[in-house]
Amino acid sequence: MARQDPKKDVVIVGLGWTGSILGMELSKEGVEILALERGEDRKTVPDFAYPNMIDELKYGIRYGTMQKPKNSTVTIRRTLDETALPYRHLGSFLPGDGVGGAGVHWNGHTWRPMENEFRLRSYVEENWGAEIIPEDMQIQDWGVTYEELEPHFDRFEWMAGISGQAGNVNGEMIEGGNPFEAPRSRGYPLPPLQQTADAEMFAEAARAMGLHPFPRPGANASEAYRNEYGMQLGPCNFCGFCERYGCINYSKGSPQTCVLDALKRKPNFQYKTNSEVLRVTLADDGKTATGVIYWDEEAGEEVFQPADIVILGAYSLHNVHLMLLSGIGQPYDPATGEGVTGRNYAYQMNGGTSMFFKDVDFNPFIGSGTVGMSIDDYAINQIDFGAEGFIGGSYITAGRANGQPIRGIALPSGTPGWGAEWKQGIGEWYGHSMSIGSHGSNMSYRDVYLDLDPTYTDKHGRPMMRMTFNWKDNDIRMTQFMKSKIEPVAESMNPDLMQSSYKGDGAMYDVRPYQTTHNVGGAPMGADPSTSAINRYLQSWDVHNVFVMGASAFPQNIQYNPTGAVGALAYWAAEAIRKDYMPNPRPLV
Amino acid sequence: MSSDVPSTRDFRPTRRGFLQGGAAGAALTGLAARARAQDAAEPVPLDQYEPQFFTAAEYAFVLAATARLIPSEGDGPGAIETRVPVYIDLQLGGDFGQAADWYMEGPFQPDADPLLGYQSPLTPAEVYRQAIPVVEEFCQNRMGAGFADLSPEDQDSVIKALEQNKDPLSGSDSGAEDTEVVESGAGGGASGGSAEPATSQPILSAELRDFFSLLLQNTKEGFFADPMYGGNYQMQGWTYIGFTGARASFKEWVDKHDVPYPLGPVSISGERA
Amino acid sequence: MIKLLRILAALALIGVVVVLLLIFLPHHLTEPQEDLAADWTPEEGQGEYAMILGDCAGCHIGADGTPFAGGQPIDSPLGPIYASNITPDPEHGIGEFSLDDFRAVMYDGVDEEGHDLYPAMPYANYRKLSERDIRGLYHYFMEEVEPSSNEVTETSLMFPFNMRFGIRMWKWVALSDPGFEPPFGDEVENAEMLNRGAYLVEGPGHCGACHTPRNLIFAQKGFTAEDSEFLTGGVIDGWTAPDLRQEGTQPQDWDQVEMARFLATGRNAHAGVSGEMELVVQYSTQYWTENDLLATAAYLDEIGHDVARESDAEDDVPSLSEEETVTLLGDADPEMALGPRLYLDNCNACHFSDGRGAANVFPQLAGNATVTAPVPRGLVQTILEGAELPSTEAYPYKLRMPGFGWRLSDEEVAELATFVRNAWGNDAGAVTAADVAGIRSAIEDSPEGHGEAAD
Repeated sequence: MARQDPKKDVVIVGLGWTGSILGMELSKEGVEILALERGEDRKTVPDFAYPNMIDELKYGIRYGTMQKPKNSTVTIRRTLDETALPYRHLGSFLPGDGVGGAGVHWNGHTWRPMENEFRLRSYVEENWGAEIIPEDMQIQDWGVTYEELEPHFDRFEWMAGISGQAGNVNGEMIEGGNPFEAPRSRGYPLPPLQQTADAEMFAEAARAMGLHPFPRPGANASEAYRNEYGMQLGPCNFCGFCERYGCINYSKGSPQTCVLDALKRKPNFQYKTNSEVLRVTLADDGKTATGVIYWDEEAGEEVFQPADIVILGAYSLHNVHLMLLSGIGQPYDPATGEGVTGRNYAYQMNGGTSMFFKDVDFNPFIGSGTVGMSIDDYAINQIDFGAEGFIGGSYITAGRANGQPIRGIALPSGTPGWGAEWKQGIGEWYGHSMSIGSHGSNMSYRDVYLDLDPTYTDKHGRPMMRMTFNWKDNDIRMTQFMKSKIEPVAESMNPDLMQSSYKGDGAMYDVRPYQTTHNVGGAPMGADPSTSAINRYLQSWDVHNVFVMGASAFPQNIQYNPTGAVGALAYWAAEAIRKDYMPNPRPLV
Repeated sequence: MSSDVPSTRDFRPTRRGFLQGGAAGAALTGLAARARAQDAAEPVPLDQYEPQFFTAAEYAFVLAATARLIPSEGDGPGAIETRVPVYIDLQLGGDFGQAADWYMEGPFQPDADPLLGYQSPLTPAEVYRQAIPVVEEFCQNRMGAGFADLSPEDQDSVIKALEQNKDPLSGSDSGAEDTEVVESGAGGGASGGSAEPATSQPILSAELRDFFSLLLQNTKEGFFADPMYGGNYQMQGWTYIGFTGARASFKEWVDKHDVPYPLGPVSISGERA
Repeated sequence: MIKLLRILAALALIGVVVVLLLIFLPHHLTEPQEDLAADWTPEEGQGEYAMILGDCAGCHIGADGTPFAGGQPIDSPLGPIYASNITPDPEHGIGEFSLDDFRAVMYDGVDEEGHDLYPAMPYANYRKLSERDIRGLYHYFMEEVEPSSNEVTETSLMFPFNMRFGIRMWKWVALSDPGFEPPFGDEVENAEMLNRGAYLVEGPGHCGACHTPRNLIFAQKGFTAEDSEFLTGGVIDGWTAPDLRQEGTQPQDWDQVEMARFLATGRNAHAGVSGEMELVVQYSTQYWTENDLLATAAYLDEIGHDVARESDAEDDVPSLSEEETVTLLGDADPEMALGPRLYLDNCNACHFSDGRGAANVFPQLAGNATVTAPVPRGLVQTILEGAELPSTEAYPYKLRMPGFGWRLSDEEVAELATFVRNAWGNDAGAVTAADVAGIRSAIEDSPEGHGEAAD
């Protein structure tokens, strides 16, 4: 029988970015809060301390900061008639683990989606008509607008210490920033990072072609910084160990650097690690949650933790898994298109062109997660979907994240993967290549979704979650369009060699190579309870005291990295919970 | 798209420093010439190393195979000089070898589409243990000798066959790459099969099909991982390509574009080169 | 011969009489410094604030965190001295103390049974507390603190230091006159603020206890700024407590706002708090009012010495200018000496080649008082074990530097320490491998042992 602990006002599942933000904001109301984190506790020192963190094998290759599939994974299939098989070791995407979650191992890219991305279906229908939307595409509006979220984007950016150059402040265009971005109420808290050679070379070439390069915004501090919670960042030193690593230098915005030591001072906030929530418990009528059941690893027993409000702040995939396991929202059925939980899973469509320059020394080990220059000339608000034959867009970018050699050294195509020629190739080309990448949207589709696997179970005996995902023609056309725009820029830079890698016709999802950890959707937000799992305040339509944070709320994927939107939505929801829900708990819509 | 694929480079084959791992290997790469501040204890030579995981026969195979995957000839150190076999031995004896972090519950479908990822019921250590005898048997049957006793050219042809996981003499549907393998193998003195089966046969069963990719991945890891894991001896892998290891401090260098960074690497333990 | 014996016997007799007098003669206790009405009561919060100013919690906190339950060892060269239980528990605490008993402790270092207290209790400085603060403290400890029955280990130092009558003799020499005299007259601009600063520093803040040198019998060399050696640096727990008055060094170089920020948050544009001072910030100064912090900063600024003192450190290491250092480190020349190479491999990531670190985050090494201290223990211990800033309300982040003791040999630490002590214009004596070895073993022998595991 489960142990029952004294009731809390709020229980937060997962202590990453959103759990930390909600903890901080809701603690201001004086309520008793307990955050349950299934992984270990993590602090910059000792857990990310120099030099032990600078270990490519342990963290870059063996995924030391990530969740272990042994403890938690999914099954994957590409089509409805395929048998899903377990994602047995990590590859395509890398969910985080432990206190700080993916906020520990991200690069720091922090973008605001375009205004039209929040109302994508309406935008398409208004401009080109519903007929250009492919039959199986299920794009939706978010139910919240950019304008409503703007103060919350601002809040997140100033909390996380974003370095960048604004392009549009209250409608005033600023030289050097992104001219296509939505208006922001003020600039970034920190100036842009210094740039690496590849970024400058790309920017120069893009400028010469009449494009509009700007510094990529990100949570790598360009200067010392202190945020609204008194938390501090030190200047990034371009160590070249950002993505997959905890920051050795207090330079990357993360729950550790931006929230946690301030949050831990709150007497009404507690957190427990090694405490995995197994399900949310519902009242008999199913309309409210009564708390959560979690596995207390230390005590070796299940615990019932009663609570008035349950915040799901785990990784997007795990939020959806918990909802499916707990009976929150009707599970999505691709046969009928009905149901909401698990609906509209989406990924990210990326591609890139590599260039080799015999005579340029790039010092590739000098880099940071977000250093780089980008263009938004082919962004989702710049493309004539009707004319081009696809819905979507990309930002295009160059910048050096790292030069870690096991993770791969770019070699001219045709170079063997081993033997004398490979060895000669790495000696010749390490430090002499760069790439231009496109980072693009991925739409949602009727047969791309999440549900419970019929066969495989996790270590707690629960059904594993099943992911059904494959690449679709619309998005392949989008990435091929980006290829046609990037290659001329690359050619204009006169590399000795260049080669491209973009998804082509018939591309099947390959779970092995790393692609991106931008798994979104599955608990989409929206204005219509028949097509969304949560309302515009991230509140479950069906269980009103459950709020679901994270990118699982995206109805389709944006062309940008998701964390900026995840952070803004967390602040937006926190405000609604504090000001509207707590005084009068009820469905807010 | 650019078609400037470089042609096969001519490299200078040198006598393989097969069992010379250690200081002698360092001397080959010119590393020992640089003043070193620390006096690291000389490690046991590779031929006297007592494996933690491998049997003597397995170890002999891994020594020979990694020496072809990253040969000693040409510029830079090889797998032998960097003590890659020691690294692989320690990895297979540790968490990685046991698939400690992986989801290893059934049911298994090892013959699933490879794009769905690793689906073998075997741990990496078990894959090595079961695959090496199969490869040795293949070498005996096709070339009349164990892998380690083959000529470098024949070893390479076996590795190419493993990379494809196709027995080059077993099939008729092989493409140009397979033909090359056959030619290369024949040049090395393979005894050609008399009767060709109708279809090419995999050398390794589905459960073992990831052996080559594991071996190659582990070899490159041993070449470039921090020396504390047993390979990348004296940081020769890093020094060769110009990687700075665990320095992780370049704020002053971000703006110095197209200037080669001059200082050698540092390891996690503080070893300097 | 007999005469000699007689003289010796007489001397011995006198000695015995003196000792007996020392033991049995009643103490002459200091009178209240102000006549307050018997029914005078402190304003709400005044007593607690006086406790904060005096940093009582820093030493008297219980091992399990129980406020004022005592029992924590205070390391002394003679052995550990255990802080007493100062909760109002009648048996184990100070519940039976009268106001006069309490004042006797604070002013004269005498407990309610007439025992002389070891000067680990800074009564030599608390003698300057106002009667209002004494009354406030008494009220606070008696009325506002929860009693704790924690029984504190009896301090037992080795002979002869366990003979408490010796302390009585020591006090005759070591204590200054009781009471605080405001040093600044009305003719001085800002006199009120400066006098408040002087009171805080000389009295409750007891800054002199660590920052003033001590003489051969371990008496503090000066209790007010009139004494030229007051606050000119001391040694605590083997670390240098920096000279607070010398121009041209930290912290005299800081502007007053930066000084106040340091005390409030443990960090400022130049430095991070380390060593014993960390506890002072953690338990005391972070809770001082802004006015008191600024008054303290103003006073310390006012009493700065104009003339730089001659360094008494043996210094045969040439000093590099800031520009030379930045060039040396920035060039990353493989032929560079071991010291700068170790700096690049271990320190540069945070402190950077200009040695400036980052404001409020990574301490500046150029001109850093811990780096250039005459006694290098603070620097070496920080390299070996790392350091952590305390969490404060305004700056809650416990920023921590990892230790490098597991990565660096004694010789390497010595090379590195010598380099940073003479880079960016720093000019301090060399550190030897033997120094480092000694500090390593001192850390291992200390009651806390290693601050950080080598992980």
